[in-house]
Amino acid sequence: MENGKNRLLFKDKPVKVLLAKPGIDGHDRGILVLAKAFRDAGMEVLYAGLLPTPESVVETAVNEDVDVVALSLLNGAHLTVFRKVADIMKSKGIDDIALVGGGTIPDEDKPELEAIGVTGNYGPGTPLSVIIDHVTTRAAEARKKKISR
Amino acid sequence: MEKREETYWDSKLKEIQSKKSAENKAYSEWKSRTLEPWNRKTGYSEKEYTNSSSIDLKEVYTVEDLPKDHSKQIGMPGEYPYTRGIYPNMYRGRQWTMRMFSGFGTPEDTNRRLKYLIEHGESGLSIAFDMPTLYGFDADNPRSDGEIGRCGVNVSSLQDMEEILEGIDLSKVSTSMTINAPAAVVTAMYIAVAKKKMIPLDRIAGTVQADILKEYIAQKEWIYPPEAHIRLIRDMMVYCTENVPKWNYISISGYHIREAGSSAVQELAFTLADGFYYVDMGIKSGLKVDDFAPRLSFFFNSSINFFEEVAKMRAARRIWATVLREKYGAKKERSLLLRFHTQTSGYTLTWQQPLNNIVRTTVEAMAAILGGTQSLHTNSYDEAWALPSEEAVKIALRTQQILADETGIPDVIDPLGGSYYVEWLTDRMEEEAYRYFDTIEKLGGILESVKKGFIQKEIAGTSYRRQMRLEQGKEIMVGVNRYEEKDEKPISTLKISHKAQVDQINKLKKLKETRNNLAVKKALQDLEKALRNPDENSMPYIIRAVEAYATLEEISNVGRNIFGEWKEPVIV
Amino acid sequence: MSPLELKSILEGIERSDTRSVARAISIVETPSMHLERNLIIKGIYHKTGHAGIIGITGPPGIGKSTMIGNLCKMLSSENFKVSVLAVDASSPFSGGSLLGNRIRMQENLSRYGVFMRSLANRGLNGGLSRAVWDAVDILDAAGNDFIIVETVGAGQADLDIVNLADTVIVVLGPGLGDQIQAIKAGIMEIGHIFVVNKIDRDGSFIAIKDLEETLAFTTQGDWKIPVYGTNSLTTEGYGDLINGIKNHTTLAKSSPEFRRKRYREEMRIVMQDEVSRIINRKFNEMILNNGEIDSLLESKTDPYSAARKILKGNSVKL
Repeated sequence: MENGKNRLLFKDKPVKVLLAKPGIDGHDRGILVLAKAFRDAGMEVLYAGLLPTPESVVETAVNEDVDVVALSLLNGAHLTVFRKVADIMKSKGIDDIALVGGGTIPDEDKPELEAIGVTGNYGPGTPLSVIIDHVTTRAAEARKKKISR
Repeated sequence: MEKREETYWDSKLKEIQSKKSAENKAYSEWKSRTLEPWNRKTGYSEKEYTNSSSIDLKEVYTVEDLPKDHSKQIGMPGEYPYTRGIYPNMYRGRQWTMRMFSGFGTPEDTNRRLKYLIEHGESGLSIAFDMPTLYGFDADNPRSDGEIGRCGVNVSSLQDMEEILEGIDLSKVSTSMTINAPAAVVTAMYIAVAKKKMIPLDRIAGTVQADILKEYIAQKEWIYPPEAHIRLIRDMMVYCTENVPKWNYISISGYHIREAGSSAVQELAFTLADGFYYVDMGIKSGLKVDDFAPRLSFFFNSSINFFEEVAKMRAARRIWATVLREKYGAKKERSLLLRFHTQTSGYTLTWQQPLNNIVRTTVEAMAAILGGTQSLHTNSYDEAWALPSEEAVKIALRTQQILADETGIPDVIDPLGGSYYVEWLTDRMEEEAYRYFDTIEKLGGILESVKKGFIQKEIAGTSYRRQMRLEQGKEIMVGVNRYEEKDEKPISTLKISHKAQVDQINKLKKLKETRNNLAVKKALQDLEKALRNPDENSMPYIIRAVEAYATLEEISNVGRNIFGEWKEPVIV
Repeated sequence: MSPLELKSILEGIERSDTRSVARAISIVETPSMHLERNLIIKGIYHKTGHAGIIGITGPPGIGKSTMIGNLCKMLSSENFKVSVLAVDASSPFSGGSLLGNRIRMQENLSRYGVFMRSLANRGLNGGLSRAVWDAVDILDAAGNDFIIVETVGAGQADLDIVNLADTVIVVLGPGLGDQIQAIKAGIMEIGHIFVVNKIDRDGSFIAIKDLEETLAFTTQGDWKIPVYGTNSLTTEGYGDLINGIKNHTTLAKSSPEFRRKRYREEMRIVMQDEVSRIINRKFNEMILNNGEIDSLLESKTDPYSAARKILKGNSVKL
């Protein structure tokens, strides 16, 4: 049911997602696969490239008015770096862009990430369909906020 | 259509074609006589069997799958073309080095882990650095916040290197350092530490990875545009050839290319293509191939498709020896020997049911030993979650020790040699590699292919296809898309405390206050002058800067100001 | 969307507030929000006409992104306010797209406060969609001195850009002899300035000469089409390029003919878009009500006759 409602919501303007690795991390195999998979799932995909700063990630997200920012880190710095992005968004009063995370993230770090608004936090080997579903769900929340102000 | 000149690779491919056996009667007759009736009787339905290189596999291989002169083709260990091993007595004469990649937190944390591993029987050191260090940023750079010590040890100055190596006799143990963009600086630090410990430079042994080409392809840890990094590698090559003869100033790597998603054949081909590039570079800088080729070393992946890995390593040895002798005219035997370190594949580890990873690592380690590696790192079972805990890394080390001491596997050289399957697969992979060399040359060489994004595109394509096959269940990862468990029990993992960051920043602050800042300034200015002159060797200047306690970032910035930072082409 | 929110967006555009501009562009990208779109454009249109619109087109890999980064940097340092619109193709299969390779320009964009937005082009017949025109209007009203529109370099959109932009730069590379041959037929119609990039490479000198020869006998009114050679890594040639851009933009903006052509084209696209929208919406109803599809299937009629009949029978109210 949820999927049906989402399909309607994104019928004439697809989910727009910004993929970013906002830390010092060159492991881009996963994010490149995600970029293609999201595009093949009908989304509009932006990839921020390697080593963008958290500030430039938020700037891009705002300018492009994305629905979701998908953050990936495999270097262990996710707690600090994802928080930086969340903090910058909060300080700009942005509440209609969702944050989703992924990478080498131990279970015990996930509650802290969810508390700052970063959900998902999928590790390597997670099926793409699970990630796509979650991103779509979060995107729907964000899009509804955008259009129903 | 102009007739293009035949390349060396074209001639090798023709040679391979001409040696193939024309018929394959044994197989086809067996197929119709025995196999097909059986399949019909048992209701067997055709399935596809392939490997990472998309090479289709028959049910069985026979002598007719080997070339006509197969005994010559296979050869003997320690004899050209070294398919069976580079030394005549391989592990009987010298066991592979058990070299566990280690590093996290502060230099003291890492020093402790290195000593722990030595105590438990590792025979060589291997140091992992954190992200800021790998990219040439100091601990006090705001971008390093949250990254310090998280995936390796943090090094911002010579002081850190001194602490990492405290109490370790550099004349007795060789050290491998996985560092690329700032490899020259870290090499300079190691040299400076050796000097302080009064060890003559011709007695220290070790490796820096330094292979910048594969950074642009796969690991993506670069600072400057390619030409600048290549110049630094050249400087290291020339300096070390003269002053630090036992130093492997480059470890030409396929591990990362494979981890980025390539197939085994792509790993083989792109790594060796990088290797040929460095040989060309050495010759262009005025050295004779026999002067430096003996010091070129390699680093391969050992992944889970067992026989493919063994075949890959055997093919690598044969190709390297053949090309160095035939194309580059190397005369010294040592120039033809492909010496390599292997690491079991990180990508094959799963966060689900982590203890399964011990099995995977064991199989991959076996493949590396059967493939004739000179040095081996085995992954720990918890590495899909975090850096290895003490307990996990000990098991990984014990895995090697059990394979070495209990199984009898290393007792006979190249035991899979002569297997119809393995020899056929070795030949196939060699052939596919030559095809790639030909394509790359026609594209303008490996550097051009990298700048154009051709190599990265090949890898991303293979990676995406593999992911799709996983999603469709055509490939299996136990615990991930088969035999999944609903409630995974969490495991305890290594924690890096924030204290490491605080300590490193404070240490750096104190260093900057107590060092001779005038000497640092002068050293950096001299380095800048040297770097601006492409004919000058920058190594002595880097060493002097390092000895004055200039920081990693300060030294790297001299390069940034001259060469700029490189932005990659986006290849998806 | 509430009238309050709409008002807030309009005010935001006037203040050059980034979020308002970004939200407004999203709205004009969303066909189902056409009422809001109409209100936005109605509210800001009187403020348009100031910005110089620069189109940049050319084959992929030729260095457009780096060039745009350089232009942003140089124009910004002359205190011009610059924005960038990157128009990308969508996948005909999934409808998804991989947008705007902004990496090469990102540093320059951030440093000089340049706004960049990617648009997936969902135009009719592959030409520039209505949304691109609207986005340009919004950026114009937000006070930009220059708006750089980059097209993906693979089709109709690259030709249509000449209707939207004041100055179109066609970027080519050395050794593209075949490309030039292919476009020689209509070369005077696709751009006002031609650039051969990567002039440090072999073949660039000949490429420039070849282009100059081809363009030697074409005129666009008073404008003689220049050919510049550039090196985007060293910014060699950029001085001339920027002067050329400024000259042609001034010419375009001051020529009533040029402006009229532009507005006529915008009107045509709007009307086409409106009519399409209505037909698409009504298509299902019309066909189902009339049973014409059944007739077609039984070969009692053909698509043209059927369509005429349907349209006649449904006088469509705008």
